[in-house]
Amino acid sequence: MTKQKVLSLTDVTMSFGNKQALNGVNLEVYQGQIIGYIGPNGAGKSTTVKIMLGLIEGYKGEIEIFGEDIANGDVSYKRKIGYVPETAELYDNLTACEYLTFTGELYGLSTEDAQSKAMKLMNEFNLETVFHQRLSSYSKGMKQKVLIISSLLHDPDLLFFDEPLSGLDANSVMIIKEILDQLAKRGKTIFYSSHIMDVVEKISNRIILLVEGRVVADGTFEELQAQSKEGTLEEIFNQLTGFSEHKEIAEKFVEIVSEGKVNG
Amino acid sequence: MGDYTSLKVLDRFKWLFQKLHIDYEVMRKILQLKLTMDARRMPTVFNGSKVKKEGNQFVKSLWLYVLYGLILLTPFLFLGDQFIFSVSIMFSVLMFILMTSMVSDYSAVLLDIRDKNILHTKPISTRTLNAAKIAHILIYMFLLTGSFVIIPLVVSIIRHGITFALIFAIEIILISCLVVVLTAFVYLFILRFFSGEKLKDIINYVQIILSIAVMIGYQLVIRSFDIINLDITYTYAWWHLLLPPIWFGAPFELFLNNNLSPHIIIMTIFALLAPILSIVIYICLMSAFERNLAKLASDSNRKKMKSRKLAKFWSNVLCRTKEERTFYMFSSLMMTQERDVKLKIYPQIGMAFIIPFIFLFNELRDRPLEEVAAGNTYMIIYFSLIMIPTVIHMLKFSGTYKGQWIFRAAPIHNESSIYSGTLKACIINYFIPVFLVLSVLFGWLFSIRILPDLFVVLLVAIAITLVSYIILNGEVYPFSNSHEHTRDISSLKVFGGMLVIGLFVIVHLILSKIPFGLYVYMLLLIIGILIGWKKTFPRNIKKEAIR
Repeated sequence: MTKQKVLSLTDVTMSFGNKQALNGVNLEVYQGQIIGYIGPNGAGKSTTVKIMLGLIEGYKGEIEIFGEDIANGDVSYKRKIGYVPETAELYDNLTACEYLTFTGELYGLSTEDAQSKAMKLMNEFNLETVFHQRLSSYSKGMKQKVLIISSLLHDPDLLFFDEPLSGLDANSVMIIKEILDQLAKRGKTIFYSSHIMDVVEKISNRIILLVEGRVVADGTFEELQAQSKEGTLEEIFNQLTGFSEHKEIAEKFVEIVSEGKVNG
Repeated sequence: MGDYTSLKVLDRFKWLFQKLHIDYEVMRKILQLKLTMDARRMPTVFNGSKVKKEGNQFVKSLWLYVLYGLILLTPFLFLGDQFIFSVSIMFSVLMFILMTSMVSDYSAVLLDIRDKNILHTKPISTRTLNAAKIAHILIYMFLLTGSFVIIPLVVSIIRHGITFALIFAIEIILISCLVVVLTAFVYLFILRFFSGEKLKDIINYVQIILSIAVMIGYQLVIRSFDIINLDITYTYAWWHLLLPPIWFGAPFELFLNNNLSPHIIIMTIFALLAPILSIVIYICLMSAFERNLAKLASDSNRKKMKSRKLAKFWSNVLCRTKEERTFYMFSSLMMTQERDVKLKIYPQIGMAFIIPFIFLFNELRDRPLEEVAAGNTYMIIYFSLIMIPTVIHMLKFSGTYKGQWIFRAAPIHNESSIYSGTLKACIINYFIPVFLVLSVLFGWLFSIRILPDLFVVLLVAIAITLVSYIILNGEVYPFSNSHEHTRDISSLKVFGGMLVIGLFVIVHLILSKIPFGLYVYMLLLIIGILIGWKKTFPRNIKKEAIR
């Protein structure tokens, strides 16, 4: 089976007012890849994902997903995409059942299918008892699980996960990692952005580093290692983003903390 | 963070707090922070007015309470010399307003669960924390009650002399205490047996009731002075012992009219003891209260799904595509469950229901029922349509507007079905219930002959819904804006809406004179709505190319 091209970005630039968020991003992603999309805060990771989903308009350049230019006005490409946003924003006055049924229907499932599938998936996360409770009473981790379920309900081919593990406990993290692995084996493509370097190091089979709206590194972990002669992804990240003064900053910080005396 | 006058006043009592082993400096800091946070909150009485979020809205809202005091309390001071009657009515009104304001606006003070995480982890004694909480509530209670009773109090000195005013002032303090404690007990009770979500729902409903009561209050102004001429004598019944406002009427009888009958004495004792006792119980139960607060973030252990057969039925009848049905269901849920949406819209619906009656009663005062029933007064049902433009405008907003990313991330083929479904849900959920009840009542009052007219009103309502959407909203996603940035719907637009409704009424009146005119009108309206709806929400549009 030849690997199919799932998405490609050509010279994508984006600016918000004077601020240049993306400076010509070029990318090609193939089926079955798990891409760790990393970069410092404000590098443009979330912006890239949001542009590809059509959440932000007004970019320049060309984006093709499943071989179609997303600017052509046809939104049906979104049907094959699942998305977990960075901040757990959902209609939390609804119950999990209501929310998941609603999103499932938006992606073309029937009410009954969406509901029963949502119930089964919630069951696997041990959330069946809270299925009919309002999302506002959920903990952060529980909301995150609901968002992950809502992104997978329609069996998408391409997944955009923006910091999907935030708020999850160690056991749940293991489950999600395994889920991603198995989904990739079934030919799904996963676009994964995170700040937790050792997770990215372990699960991705391709890592893309974005700095100031530009791709500065692209390859497997081993390739990046060979390139920069560093041991861990964290160190590679520090080196490529040109950051080395963490010790000095920490020292100064602690210095200030122990300065002065607390009253009383 | 500014320094507050209330805190400066509190400084005078520093010695008292220190005597009670309370860390006054810490307490003051907490209070200062809390007052600053409160300054950034919007009180319910201002709901719908266009105040900007600057300055302490609470202090400004006090003027409104001064006005209420003048309107709702003062008239009763002129109600003859049988104090137990007039004063009891006054205290009923007072307790109602205080209690509802307490629940709606200060629930955030009583029920702040952030306190636990932020304050209880710091090295502050529980004693100081509780003192801060009580002082915080008292500052509000003092300002609120103070502005509410200031005019009646002054008037009472002039009308009934200084002794009356003195008893009045003391009793008001007692009532304030009772109200605070009662509110806390209500919360405690609800939290004991229900979930936090339920409590938030109940608070929401109280807020809605307060908003409606305030609006009706305006209407009562005209009528309240009629009551003064009434001559009612009070006769005692045993169940009066169960009504707190009457307890507080008793001391006036006892001290001013020298009424020494046993029930008056018993009620006077109640009036004095109940507030004191309740405060003692409150202090004892404070820790239990804090414990139950932890439940605030919980939902009831609902295992079953609420069946929404009616909504499903209507969505199947009214919507043509599956996408539209989905949005119909979603909007119905938002309209009935989202608290911010309810708080903004339900008072409007309450008004839509009440205004026709106010006009009807005005009419009935001038003319006998038979004459009114034979005429065309039923046209006042059109007044219930005035809410439609405002309500449609409100559909833009919600408290969970950030969830709207899903609209863009999902592959929605025909985006016009989003609002199409929402408007249909709005008509069914909001307008139809009001209209049905009004129709039944009017049909009963004016006989069955007005049925065609009512049908025309329904059609006009749908037409106005559509027109309002085109003029006021004209955007793609409902519930996608924050209330905080609400620039209030300009009165010009509301006035325009009334003008349009007025036009429909005139056409209706003219055509009803012509034989079969009404039926032609009906037909025209139906055709107009169908064409208008199709034009506004075209079925096959592709989202225009981005970029």
